[in-house]
Amino acid sequence: MTKNRKATTGMSEVRFVTRRRFIFAAGSTLAAVGLRPAFAQSRLRVDPTEFQPLPIAITNFVPGSPAEGQIGADVAGVITNNLKRSGLFAPIDQAAFIERNTDPDMPRNFQNWKAINAQALVTGGTTRQPDGRLAARFRLWDVATGQQIEGQQYVTSPEYWRRISHIISDKIYERLTGEKGYFDTRVVFVDETGPSERRVKRLALMDQDGANVRYLTRGADLVLTPRFSPSTQEITYMEFGQGDPKVYLFNVETGQREIVGNFPGMSFSPRFSPDGQRIIMSLQQGGNSNLFVMDLRSKSTTRLTDTPAIDTSPSYAPDGSRICFESDRGGKPQIYVMPAQGGPAQRISFGEGSYSTPVWSPRGDYIAFTKQGGGQFAIGIMKTDGSGERILTSGFHNEGPTFAPNGRVVMFFRDPGGNSGPSLFTVDISGRNEQRVPTPGYASDPAWSPLLS
Amino acid sequence: MKVDKTLVASVALHVLVIGWGLISFSARSFEAPPESLPIDIISADQLAKMTAGLKTGEKDKPKPLVEKVAEAKPVDEAVGKITEKEIVTATSPEQPPKVEKPVEKKPEPKPVAETKPKDEPKQAEKKPDPPKEDPIAEALKSEDAKKPKAKQEAKAAPPQPPKPKQERVFDQSKIAALLDKRDPTRQSITGAALNASAALGTRSGNADAIVATWKGAFVAAVRRCFNFPYNGQDADQFEADIDIQMRPDGTVAAEPVIVAVRGPSRSIGTAMAESAKRAIVQCQAYAFLPKQQYDTWKYIPMTFGLKEML
Repeated sequence: MTKNRKATTGMSEVRFVTRRRFIFAAGSTLAAVGLRPAFAQSRLRVDPTEFQPLPIAITNFVPGSPAEGQIGADVAGVITNNLKRSGLFAPIDQAAFIERNTDPDMPRNFQNWKAINAQALVTGGTTRQPDGRLAARFRLWDVATGQQIEGQQYVTSPEYWRRISHIISDKIYERLTGEKGYFDTRVVFVDETGPSERRVKRLALMDQDGANVRYLTRGADLVLTPRFSPSTQEITYMEFGQGDPKVYLFNVETGQREIVGNFPGMSFSPRFSPDGQRIIMSLQQGGNSNLFVMDLRSKSTTRLTDTPAIDTSPSYAPDGSRICFESDRGGKPQIYVMPAQGGPAQRISFGEGSYSTPVWSPRGDYIAFTKQGGGQFAIGIMKTDGSGERILTSGFHNEGPTFAPNGRVVMFFRDPGGNSGPSLFTVDISGRNEQRVPTPGYASDPAWSPLLS
Repeated sequence: MKVDKTLVASVALHVLVIGWGLISFSARSFEAPPESLPIDIISADQLAKMTAGLKTGEKDKPKPLVEKVAEAKPVDEAVGKITEKEIVTATSPEQPPKVEKPVEKKPEPKPVAETKPKDEPKQAEKKPDPPKEDPIAEALKSEDAKKPKAKQEAKAAPPQPPKPKQERVFDQSKIAALLDKRDPTRQSITGAALNASAALGTRSGNADAIVATWKGAFVAAVRRCFNFPYNGQDADQFEADIDIQMRPDGTVAAEPVIVAVRGPSRSIGTAMAESAKRAIVQCQAYAFLPKQQYDTWKYIPMTFGLKEML
């Protein structure tokens, strides 16, 4: 394409040209006819026609000695499962692999991986250290160029091999998507067993993929709304003991449990501040409830709202400057946003039906909620000013959204009704890739932990 | 028995109409529409450019126009003859006179015995312009069975060395005598195979301006490999400008260069740009890129985005 032609057809091509580039192109058109014509060429625009998960080949990690047994395959299995469940990757079935014994540190025949349409290749190995610890290394390869694009080694006790697998998954995810991963995380939830009229509800903790379930309470007392601290390994939740329900604090590592404040009446729907040093919650006073925040160190309590309405489900913005909460001050439950120190609240939800359980994304860009209307419970997200509402899933009963630490995935529980019970699901904030999270029994009220490492 | 005539007529008519309908509306197998083809919509202006020839365009061995099939003559043989008889083409009025200017014609007294007797020297002199099909040429052709071929081939082989002319005197007052006074006749151009399209300037001409033709194919080819996993919102805000240097064989000459990355998250934008770079490398070689237009795709500036993702 010549300079002159650029000048005459430029108008039709402007839309493909970035502003800066266009100014440059136009300027050079007028000024320098002798300049290399190519620089005036408009940019060719390429967008993927539709979303497709990235095909990736994950080889079994090669054990350093036969004594290590299955661990290499197990690690690869966990990574494969993580990436597959994310919906962003399409791990290729190992049965399709042309090459079986790939040198994990120097794969040679990338043609063999191109042939099965892999765009990325994960190789790795495990070695048992002299002190008994397990070292796992991995390399991420770009199949097209044959270049390594990531490589790390981790050392830990052999029983934590799953965590290493999650950490490696996070690294791969982060390198290929540009976002932090969320695989090395845990989920606290309410485990439900027994018939519906005599349901036993226990607090339980598991890895985000459903492995390593641990029970934190015995089920003697009813527990509700557990919430993970965004910065520490602590959980706050509500428990019905003798008398009024109270908010408790539970340390996952020590197993220590304490009551949060000693308020007259019911305290409920607690949540941590981003720094983990304060707990914001509702206190019931008469027929209405208001929001309070308590500093965990000084135990001092501050009232944030004072209305003759039910204000509940508060959630901090990740920078701690604002909170969103649910209030029926306008008649029906709706979502409001106000400064974290209290002050005027601004309603942000205006759709049909009522909105509840708002939760601010750890990224700060969205607020997830439960929306009720038309006999349906939906999980949705909206921007923090209330715009861009998007329903992610809808049905008989969906409730209690919680964000993955990277803000890209929402977990919630769904109850199909009838005699069955609730179970946990995840969905992308785009509304795609709904996945059931495996739990031992019925499960509700999930809360996602921050990244463990 | 009494038969109602109208009934008979009605029955007969119905049978006729229904019978005709059965035959002519008989079920036809449903023809599936042909597979969809990617279509680039171009403006009339672009189309005009694509189809227009360029007078100054280099002629590229055009196929001769052939309206009638004459007795088959192997093409190569004809060509061979012509090269043997160089003089024929040299004195033919169809000879491109690019090298030889009319100035040379007058003083040259070189006797060229081989010149065809029928060839009127004055005719040749009259036409110092580039070869064009014209009535005189047609007339000449008709004089000799071989001649038309020769003329056609002369066109086809422009770089023939010009030959000196016979002694000629140009008398301006006798121009009228130079005119062909025969009645106009319509002569068919004969050849071995019919060719209805007169070729002039179609091969090259403006062809180097027709970048639209390869652009679409190139974008489609890169898109096949561009696969960035993104599950967030505001996908349309992410963009990466990437420049590519190409080799003439359609492979990427150097690692694609990320010129700029835009979007709400730098890390995601960068990951997308790197994914795009990998896609460009992965999908090469782009062998379909037209070699003769290499100048237009030696350097390809591209913008990758995620517009269609959500």
